[in-house]
Amino acid sequence: MKRQSGLLTRKSLAILLTVAVAIAVAAAVFIGSRRVSEPVVKPPEDIEDYLFWQAKELTDFKLIGADNKTLGLNDLKGKWSFVFFGYIHCPDVCPLTMGVLGQAFKLIEKNPAAHQEIQGIFVSVDPKRDTPELLKEYASYFSNKFIGVTGNTAQVDAFSRQMSALYTIHPEESQESGDNYLVTHNSTVFLVDPQGRLYGRFPPPQLPQEIAEVFIKIHTFYNERVKK
Amino acid sequence: MIKFFSTILVALMLGLAALSASAGSDIQIRDPWVQAAPPSVKVLAAYLEIKNDGKKQRVLTDVSSPAFAQVGIHRTVMHGNMAHMEHLKELAVPPNASVVLQPGGLHLMLTDAKKPLNTGDSVPMTLTFKDGEKVAVQATVRSGQKEDMGDHQHMDHSGHMNHNH
Repeated sequence: MKRQSGLLTRKSLAILLTVAVAIAVAAAVFIGSRRVSEPVVKPPEDIEDYLFWQAKELTDFKLIGADNKTLGLNDLKGKWSFVFFGYIHCPDVCPLTMGVLGQAFKLIEKNPAAHQEIQGIFVSVDPKRDTPELLKEYASYFSNKFIGVTGNTAQVDAFSRQMSALYTIHPEESQESGDNYLVTHNSTVFLVDPQGRLYGRFPPPQLPQEIAEVFIKIHTFYNERVKK
Repeated sequence: MIKFFSTILVALMLGLAALSASAGSDIQIRDPWVQAAPPSVKVLAAYLEIKNDGKKQRVLTDVSSPAFAQVGIHRTVMHGNMAHMEHLKELAVPPNASVVLQPGGLHLMLTDAKKPLNTGDSVPMTLTFKDGEKVAVQATVRSGQKEDMGDHQHMDHSGHMNHNH
């Protein structure tokens, strides 16, 4: 009996040691990783809710605009990009959100430095109906800061999934067959920083003043505290 | 010449709209407008307020417009941040109450515009209620943004333009 319990103790000691070593290693790795990565600077409270806790690096993508121009990750760098996923046959939410963004862009003019760095990107999740030429007309209608892009399903998904911007096309719900179908889409406006990282988001319902004021604060915070 | 006739036509339609509104109906349509979009966009949304001054519930069952192949009653529903459109067969307006169709919620979905529409254009629409009453309105195409509203405010009440016949 005694020998058995001794064996048990030795066994549990071994387990304890292993666990302790594992914790120590994990802690060391964690502390180490915190040292090498950018220190998390706490943003002011009034913009905190709009920012991701940690900016997310995007991987390269390829979307198609008018005149066969492509849009990739490099085209986001050096600018603040307001990204919105929608489709032209969306009569309610899309013109509403695009109109709000167009007005927000105008309001941001009061801060010329911030205004100079913004661009709007309308990504159509409905490439079957929305050609790059139509998208150019549609996007620029709301602001000359806007471009419109799309791509095949794989190209659109490669970009939208990085922002968890889900969408569903419902041909079964159409009132008529053919081209009149509805699309469910995420109506969040995503904000990508000049390093090409997913930095913040404006969930619906959005207001022009809200977006403009919050963005100018984000821009100031970023330039003073985050930019390397 | 064509412009002259279309002006007369618009005036006649406004007159009709005024008549239908002043013929003792309990239904008033307020501020009908269409969200402006680039000319190539064939699907638009219209918004308005339906005010029921009567003692009975009224039910909107059909909307038509000669400017579009089809008009449907739709509602945008948000599931979290996901926007989804629902097609409604009818829309009830309780007695002594208003139902407001506005961006981000209830709207009339106008499908397949027969010609491009520009800001300031008028879109004739007929609203049919379950009891058979038809109300004609002229919806003005405008941008939904507030800065434009001041310019158009005096034009947005075609549903009760009683002075205009």
